[in-house]
Amino acid sequence: MDFYELSTEVIDFASVSRRFVPAVCGATVTLDGYARKFTKEKDGTVRETEYLVYEAYEPMALKEMAKLIERAKTEFEISAVGIIHRLGRLEIGESSVIISVAAPHRKAAFAACEWLITELKRTVPIWKKEIYAGGESWVEGEAPARPNSLPE
Amino acid sequence: MGCTVLFFGATADATEKRQIDLDLEAGSTVGQVLENVRHSHSGLNEHKLLVALNEEYVSLDTPVQNGDTLAVFTAVSGG
Repeated sequence: MDFYELSTEVIDFASVSRRFVPAVCGATVTLDGYARKFTKEKDGTVRETEYLVYEAYEPMALKEMAKLIERAKTEFEISAVGIIHRLGRLEIGESSVIISVAAPHRKAAFAACEWLITELKRTVPIWKKEIYAGGESWVEGEAPARPNSLPE
Repeated sequence: MGCTVLFFGATADATEKRQIDLDLEAGSTVGQVLENVRHSHSGLNEHKLLVALNEEYVSLDTPVQNGDTLAVFTAVSGG
């Protein structure tokens, strides 16, 4: 029942969240990450984004998403996971990533969803470019502790 | 022997390339290929880089085989 996809189309939140409603489950926790317009910097100034562009190393991104789902199902008492990440140009407010976790009980679903988005942002080869008035830049994530290879 | 190197996002901008093909000495490691690429594309030196070999994260001492594909990219920023 698990699914993981990359999409250049606008993602319909409800269709992801309710794609599977396993009979053994009682809760689905769904994260809807979307493009933010105003970002407060550490120095207190506010950066205003016009739109975002996401790019992926697609075959590897799909492999890494599959690995995350496999690990989440080993570490948490959950039944099904769906992940869709948007690529290409996103307008402000459009969903960039949706992660749905169905579980018999909500607590495991919340914990697994938090773990999945944290790991996705660390390991899945997708990059975000922010376009603002008068400029643009690729966002670089936090470099891993060890050079090159990512820790387990 | 040879390998293909792919660039994405900031590394594609820094090199102004999406892909290059390299001739390698037999026994070259991922780390040696990365140094080779940094040397020929100095714009990459402004970035902390990750490397994947055939779509997997690997350590820098992993040997590169003929026909392998390396991807050179900055720390990921999806989500």
